[in-house]
Amino acid sequence: MDRKEEQAPRLVTEGPDGRGESLTTKEMRTVTEKGGKDLMSDEIVWQRSISDVNDSILLGIDKPSKTYYIALAFSVLCMAIGIAAWVYMINVGMGVSGLNSPVYWGVFITNFVFWVGIGHAGTLISAILFLFRAKWRNSINRSAEAMTVFAVMTAGLFPLIHVGRVWLAAYWMLPLPNTNNLWVNFRSPLIWDVFAISTYLTVSLLFWYMGLVPDLASIRDRVKGIRRLIYGMMSFGWTGTVRQWHHYEVGYALLAALATPLVLSVHSIVSWDFAMSAQPGWHSTIFPPYFVAGAILSGCAMVYTLVVPFRKMFQLEQFIRKEHLEALIKLTLLTSTIVSYAYSIEFFIAWYSGNEYEWAIFVKRASGPYAFYFWTMVFCNCVFPLAFWSKRIRNNIAVAFVVTVLINVGMWFERYNIIISSLVEDFVPGSWGHYEPSLVEITITVGSFGWFFTWMLIFARFFPLVSMSELKLIMPKPLSGDKLKSLKEGEAHG
Amino acid sequence: MTERLETNVNQVSQSSRSPHYMAAEEVLPEIAEGKDSSSGKKEGEILPVDRRDFMRLFSLSAVAGAASCVRRPAEKAIAYVKQPIDQVPGVATHYASTCGSCPAGCGISVKTREGRPVKLEGNSEHPLNQGGLCALGQAEIQGLYHPERLQSPQFRDGDKWGDVTWDEALAKVIAGVKNAKKVGIFTGGATGHRHEFFEEVLKRLGSSEKELYTWEANSLYSSVSEAYRLSFGHADLPRMELSEAAFIVGVGTDFQVSGLSPVSHSKGFSQGRSVRRGRRNKFVQFESNLTLTGSTADERHVIPAGNESVVALLLVKALYENPASKGTQKFRSDVAATLQAQEAVLLNAYETIGVGRDVFDGIAQELIEKPSIVMAGSGANFDQNATLLQLAAIMANTLSGAFGKTIFFDEGWAKSPVRNGDLVRFEEAGKLDVLFVIDSDPLFSVPQSWKLGDLFSKIPLIVSIQSFPVETDRVAHVVLPGNHNLESWGDEQSIAGFWSMRQPAVRPTKNSRQAEDILLWVLASVEKNLPYQDYRAYLKKKWHAIYELIRPSIAYETFFKAVIRRGFTGKMSIRAANDVKDVQQHFRTLKAPSVGKFVLAAPLDHRLVEGRGAHLPILQEIGDALTSIAWDTWLAVNPHTAKKFGWQRNQLVSVTGPGGSVELAVYPLPGLHPDTVVIPRGNGHEDKRSTISYLNGVNPLTLVEKASDPLSGQPVTSVFPVEIKATGKWFRLAAMQKLVHDMEGRADIIKTMPMKEVLKKATHKRGLDDVPDLFPKLDEESKHRWGMSIDLDRCNGCGACMAACGIENNVPQAGREQILLGREMHWIRLDRYFRGDLNNPQVSVQPVMCQHCNHAPCEGVCPVYATTHDPEGLNAMTYNRCVGTRYCANACPYKVRRFNWWTHRWGEMGERLQDRNPRATNPDVTVRTKGVMEKCSFCLQRITDAKHNAKGQNREVRDGEVQTACQQTCPMNAIVFGNLKDPTSRVAQLRDDGRAYLMLGGAPEHDHFGLKTLPNVSYLAEVTLEEGTQEEHGHHG
Repeated sequence: MDRKEEQAPRLVTEGPDGRGESLTTKEMRTVTEKGGKDLMSDEIVWQRSISDVNDSILLGIDKPSKTYYIALAFSVLCMAIGIAAWVYMINVGMGVSGLNSPVYWGVFITNFVFWVGIGHAGTLISAILFLFRAKWRNSINRSAEAMTVFAVMTAGLFPLIHVGRVWLAAYWMLPLPNTNNLWVNFRSPLIWDVFAISTYLTVSLLFWYMGLVPDLASIRDRVKGIRRLIYGMMSFGWTGTVRQWHHYEVGYALLAALATPLVLSVHSIVSWDFAMSAQPGWHSTIFPPYFVAGAILSGCAMVYTLVVPFRKMFQLEQFIRKEHLEALIKLTLLTSTIVSYAYSIEFFIAWYSGNEYEWAIFVKRASGPYAFYFWTMVFCNCVFPLAFWSKRIRNNIAVAFVVTVLINVGMWFERYNIIISSLVEDFVPGSWGHYEPSLVEITITVGSFGWFFTWMLIFARFFPLVSMSELKLIMPKPLSGDKLKSLKEGEAHG
Repeated sequence: MTERLETNVNQVSQSSRSPHYMAAEEVLPEIAEGKDSSSGKKEGEILPVDRRDFMRLFSLSAVAGAASCVRRPAEKAIAYVKQPIDQVPGVATHYASTCGSCPAGCGISVKTREGRPVKLEGNSEHPLNQGGLCALGQAEIQGLYHPERLQSPQFRDGDKWGDVTWDEALAKVIAGVKNAKKVGIFTGGATGHRHEFFEEVLKRLGSSEKELYTWEANSLYSSVSEAYRLSFGHADLPRMELSEAAFIVGVGTDFQVSGLSPVSHSKGFSQGRSVRRGRRNKFVQFESNLTLTGSTADERHVIPAGNESVVALLLVKALYENPASKGTQKFRSDVAATLQAQEAVLLNAYETIGVGRDVFDGIAQELIEKPSIVMAGSGANFDQNATLLQLAAIMANTLSGAFGKTIFFDEGWAKSPVRNGDLVRFEEAGKLDVLFVIDSDPLFSVPQSWKLGDLFSKIPLIVSIQSFPVETDRVAHVVLPGNHNLESWGDEQSIAGFWSMRQPAVRPTKNSRQAEDILLWVLASVEKNLPYQDYRAYLKKKWHAIYELIRPSIAYETFFKAVIRRGFTGKMSIRAANDVKDVQQHFRTLKAPSVGKFVLAAPLDHRLVEGRGAHLPILQEIGDALTSIAWDTWLAVNPHTAKKFGWQRNQLVSVTGPGGSVELAVYPLPGLHPDTVVIPRGNGHEDKRSTISYLNGVNPLTLVEKASDPLSGQPVTSVFPVEIKATGKWFRLAAMQKLVHDMEGRADIIKTMPMKEVLKKATHKRGLDDVPDLFPKLDEESKHRWGMSIDLDRCNGCGACMAACGIENNVPQAGREQILLGREMHWIRLDRYFRGDLNNPQVSVQPVMCQHCNHAPCEGVCPVYATTHDPEGLNAMTYNRCVGTRYCANACPYKVRRFNWWTHRWGEMGERLQDRNPRATNPDVTVRTKGVMEKCSFCLQRITDAKHNAKGQNREVRDGEVQTACQQTCPMNAIVFGNLKDPTSRVAQLRDDGRAYLMLGGAPEHDHFGLKTLPNVSYLAEVTLEEGTQEEHGHHG
């Protein structure tokens, strides 16, 4: 291929049908044809065409709305208060938390597991659904991936917030060579966590950034001055040649394949933090699949919770269609049933094991002083999502939004419930205690949301929230003449 | 039903907390660096920082790590220019001395490092306490370094206090003494030369020796010595050899923790409870409240409060009617007459107390058949009949033939530390010109209804000499800082002819002087000198008599030095036996027990006694073993009674007695008589003499009306009717444990074993270590595998181990607020469980420390190898390496790990001043800072020490050479430590004992091995004597 071809016109941005015949599209089409109709993309009646994609999606980047700034200010404020609380806690000691003996883990670890769980949907949507060729993912995968990266970043903070001596933990948990010849303890699930999470973060970040490259090039071509330089550097000289696209597609597919096992491994490893200790209610082989299902449930719900307001804020209703959202809800419903099954089987095994310590924990979860959290969890994760069996509710964005928020609440309480109820009253009645989160813990939790949303909003300000290049794959080609005319008329009438 | 009650109680305590805990800043520390802890905090603030602090902290984020460092007091290390011969840096010097916490006079060995005392231990050669020491004795070290000890003498001017110099203070005292005609001394109990010295001083001052008034809040000394005076003619105490008694009957006694000589009695009791040696005493207790002593009883009868004397008389009756009972003809007819006179009282007594006649007959039979003893009386029954109770006990012991077998009164009898009736004498004495109050706090420990304050206010000059400020200082004109016990010279003669020496282990750490020396100085100043340079010289002169008595073949100088070195000497005194006198006329004063809806018993607390331990944080913090309440005072009521009246745990009620009323929170405690309510003494200090004791709990003595025991003259402090009303308010008691009934069916935590099975099963059919698992074999290279055995049949929950451990290992006291959050730091805790009938449950107290598991769940989970397994079987903790993930503590099924939520700062505990003086810490143990996990180390420093010694002498460590702090001090000998690899060691043999089991180790005899953690700590199951009541041993499920 000669140099001229490589520097062919910037197809991505120039011509609406410029990249209509790229390899991938061909491939995708073949797959679709072989596998039958892709319901999601074919049934949607698009009201925009490829030609509108860049202009509409990048609108938010060019000129963010007032709501955006209010949201950003609020997030930064929450984050600042959270950081202040953390600094205060480092200064004074972990005593400012509500933690005690025997409840040595509390809200911080709950948050850690919660955010890791949130971080699952992104890779699931972008990698696994990519490999399964579920095209509806193309409209939301960018937001989901961004959410993943930021959620894992948030999650990664919590082990540090949680430890007693963060100034040492920050590097002693890494296998760094030192004069004492001290290595980390590879038997400890916490070290597995360090590796699992850092690997996951790295792969997610690469995956997400790789998907961003063609879109960054699009932005580069629209902006001027210093911004052009920055976007230019970030897009690594992407020009959209066939060869680049070829490498891109191969790399993307490989990364997707690499990321797929991680989706399952990370939360399995997180679940081992619990399952590897002898604590009743934790020491169970069901934990890895149970945690993964829970993570995907919370992740899908969180994607929905995020996409709905962002879609509104950045006027993306035409690209993130309600059919896409419905598909997400279906996935949520599926994982909710898996989670419900896990809850019931966990109870059954506790009873069936004949271990009085194990069974006592489960009885107390459902009827003890912390029963409120248990029932919140059951209602939010198992009962409310049942409403999604109804198509009307699935398509009612407002109702579905509320339910997904409730699922997030329920999933937070699931972790809270697992952690607290197993610790409060375990083996030896002489050491039983109680736990209530302190204000500092709550503040840091709020701060973590602030931190997460700050990153999300900064991201939305500078990067396209929807993967433009991938969206174009599932959108109809530009319409010509009559077809366009009739569509517009139809729109006018409808 | 009872479980539901407890659930309700828990729920209430969860949901409606008292106003004390509503504010969020309770959760937050007062010890933030650079923060004015006294500044008021507003409620509802998001963070307990104001705007400036917020900004400061916010901007500090970049240097958070650096800012978290703690500034330590600067100390200079100066090498010896000329090294004193007995001081080797890094090597401890031990001084033999005598404990001064109570008049029992246990021998102690003061461990000093670089010239400062760091730990007290019972003197193992001392025949009285045989190495044991109670919690109060262990805590003396905190009293020595207490930051609230006076730094200089003080004058009172109206209500104001001013510091003055010693010269000014003594000038004032001398001016007062010079013109005084009648000088008096009011002092605490002592058995040595102290009182004699005071009498000499008074005589020299022109006053009379009668102006010496002795006062001891433990009225048992008075009632027992008075009863023996009436019966035998000597106001002394009997010596009790409990190790000889196979059958012990207690009538309202608490001899193991707050009797005449708790440690020596505990030692004796535990020696009589040696199942392995085929000696297992039987203990039957009659009591209205639940005492720690009662919790070790094999048979416990709950009686209404105030009926102890009646029970004792019923016992006398049963003994008398038993044809095999002993006693001279005259004595028996006296007893008959006494019983005859009390027939009206005894007629319906069986029904009143709820114990059948057959029970008494059975007990009487056993008392006569076996070497036996009847012990009576404790702080819970200092009532009008206190002396009569002792008289009845003397009768019972005479009838059963205990004198000469288990009780000795003519051969090495015990000395009474007080003179009876002194309080009444003091009241009736004419006006005093000058009164010295020395080491006594009558204003707090005598009921307020006695109005001693008014009596004191009439005295023109009161000089208070105290080693620690007390409430009586309030009425004093001059307060002089006295030496602490560890800075003083002195002696005790707890057993007649047996002398125990007290020597200073350190020069006065504060600007204080010894009370006796102050008096000598005053005498010299008014030109009425005694011929002694100081109190030591006085003692040295007086000890000539002892030298004469013993007649050793050495010079006096050598003898005196040797005694100081060893700590004690003596020769058993013997006197002619007297017949028991007729005491029946005294029984005329027998008062019918108080009747009321509720009868209050106000026993002495086993840690704080009447309040003398209240300023010592470690004693406040170890808490009461049965309620697990620390720092507070509680109202214990029977759970059924609580239910009947709708009271719940932590509900604030007002208790009104004849003398006043107090408000305090309810704690439903199983095992109390339904009509008896209990408020322990010790707390309730309203004078801010110490921030540690200030405003903790209430003092039940404010409820008492003025009354006294007619025979001994001691004030009545217990057993009187009270009214209780709910206030609708709540107060969360700082209880460290939840009240769990019947262990919720958990069988491998506390195990019990019927006696007949114990006899059948000397050893296990399979060893405790023979657990089938997939773990690699235990280390075979190492010579040692350290292990511990704890005998649950002996432990009574006195808390001495907790105090010893805390002092030895620099364990911080967290304070009441932290305990409420569940953050006590004890390395060893006492778990107590109740089983069976709430009215009379089986009580178990289980000391739990790190179990040093061979397959420790904590070790695998630590990401940074901060906790690892030692080749000698220890579960070791590397503080430097710990980053504080707290995973180990979560993984620990025994929950024995403790996390440093804060840096527990020197000298402070929240807003309280604490004597966590760097000087008071054990230099062999690292002091931990915030963010670090800690736990029991099996006293690693002592193991290392013993190994060094052994290596230096080119030999192996001997069995018993390493003693952990808890084991060393245990008055009940419940703990044994040693090398499990040595099959001849005591601990290895106890691990093979038929009673041995591993906590959470399942039921190995049923091939169920529980968690398979394989701890190095094993427990010996409690032995049950009654048929039918025991659970099936090892039953799982």
